[in-house]
Amino acid sequence: MTLMVVKPGLQTTLQGLPFSGYRHLGMPAAGAADCLSLALANRLVSNIPTAIALEITLDDAKFKVEHACTIALTGAASFIHLNGEEKSLHSSIPTKAGDEIHVGAAHRGCRSYLTLAGDIDAQSILDGQSTYLGAALGGFRGRALAPGDIVKLTPTASKRETYLQTPDNLRPVIADRYLIRVTAGPEFSALSADQRQLFFEGKHEVGQRSNRMGLNLSGIKLAPQNSTQMQSAPVFPGTIQCPPDGESFLLGPDGQTTGGYPRIAQVIRADRHLIGQLRPHAKIQFAKVTNQKATEIYRQKLSLLTPWLGTVSLW
Amino acid sequence: MTIAEIHACDDWLSCKLDTLDKVHAATADLQKQEIWQEVVAGLDSVAVQFDPAHLMPDEAKDLFQTQLNSLTTHLMTKAETVTIPLCYEAQFAPDINWVAEKMDLSVEAFIALHSSAQFSVTMLGFMPGFAYLQCLEKIPAIGRLSKPRQKVAVGSVGLIGEQSCIYSFNSPGGWPIIGRTPIKLFDPDRTRPALLTASQRIVFEPISSAEFNALLNETLP
Repeated sequence: MTLMVVKPGLQTTLQGLPFSGYRHLGMPAAGAADCLSLALANRLVSNIPTAIALEITLDDAKFKVEHACTIALTGAASFIHLNGEEKSLHSSIPTKAGDEIHVGAAHRGCRSYLTLAGDIDAQSILDGQSTYLGAALGGFRGRALAPGDIVKLTPTASKRETYLQTPDNLRPVIADRYLIRVTAGPEFSALSADQRQLFFEGKHEVGQRSNRMGLNLSGIKLAPQNSTQMQSAPVFPGTIQCPPDGESFLLGPDGQTTGGYPRIAQVIRADRHLIGQLRPHAKIQFAKVTNQKATEIYRQKLSLLTPWLGTVSLW
Repeated sequence: MTIAEIHACDDWLSCKLDTLDKVHAATADLQKQEIWQEVVAGLDSVAVQFDPAHLMPDEAKDLFQTQLNSLTTHLMTKAETVTIPLCYEAQFAPDINWVAEKMDLSVEAFIALHSSAQFSVTMLGFMPGFAYLQCLEKIPAIGRLSKPRQKVAVGSVGLIGEQSCIYSFNSPGGWPIIGRTPIKLFDPDRTRPALLTASQRIVFEPISSAEFNALLNETLP
């Protein structure tokens, strides 16, 4: 079973579970930037929540199904058309050989997830299959999909076709402004009281130099103290660092494993999937929570998702 | 060992340690604890990541504290030495003249000095398998290129003074390049994907371009 890429848009990669346990070797997490939308899309085609999917970025994209298959789309896309006919996001879509899929450009948010019932063929490395573009590893030959590429799929063994829709209360709101919760980073003290107020009360704007590695935050210029005296230290997806020029940046799934700038804040695990929907010019406000609260929010989110998704983890 | 304060985020913890040897010893020990999903070394700190679905940050912090305390000081004494073949010929070493000049040496004298010096792997980072090295001998500060290169070839060795690095993939970079190794620093299909690990000692062995090409096709198990 295969899917042909007709128009991949800005950047379409194969993404699923992040790599785990290799950060000490310098290997970033990679994996779906919005893991919640990935899990929801996989549910609609009866895959496990972390199965490999096509992560589509901003632009519209076109594909051709070469064999009958159930598909689904979640995330930021403005529409999905099958042979020119409008279908719904967040629902199972049966397709037949030769059908053309058109995924509409995102008007809000950034990424969409196209899932196919079955196992997408992807390069297996380091116990994972996601694409890490920085070192051309995993996924589809380590790179973004190009026109003419054929994505292969092992279909799910004779499962009866079921029509599913994401329950309304679980559909993430795709927006152009987000409130994102953070905890204090190890170098939070690099910000004076006034600077902290500015960081939390101001509106940050996602800059143009944003991709899966990280997003630069413009709009608010901070003045960190002693920022040049820091030694390289571990960082994670969701870490917000502030270099001496005061323009902080937020690390994404492909972010490096260590960094040399003050780690002023850390996006909480429960909200990290929102990073995948941040597009240039999106507005962000950060709210500080305690670690205890962050964990409660995370566990609440998981228990809300479990009845629909089964045991699931977010990253 | 006595440790400084631990900083906790909601799913990772970090602790500053006062020597690099302690960082390496702590990292090696923490990696044996299955509770941590990631154990990452910095230059003066170590961090661990955990699953907040199963562990509260306070519980994780207590565990981390206990584990670090019980490390006592059985610090690693015998560091493993790895020999890395390095070709210093001009085609692989675009900045060797400039670097030698900065150090007031002829290229030959620079190669003699560089290939007799010992380096220690301080940290892996930047890219998979990318190694930061510290020279154990005195080397004057050289500095970075005024204009970073768009593409530094895989295997290139950069030197900015006592700090050095080996590029594990083609990538942009601003370190002056004084040679290139044909050995793959990172190969996900190997049993040990990264050739180097923090705390190892490195020496460079000069090779010709013919040897470079011969070694390029060899693969490690």
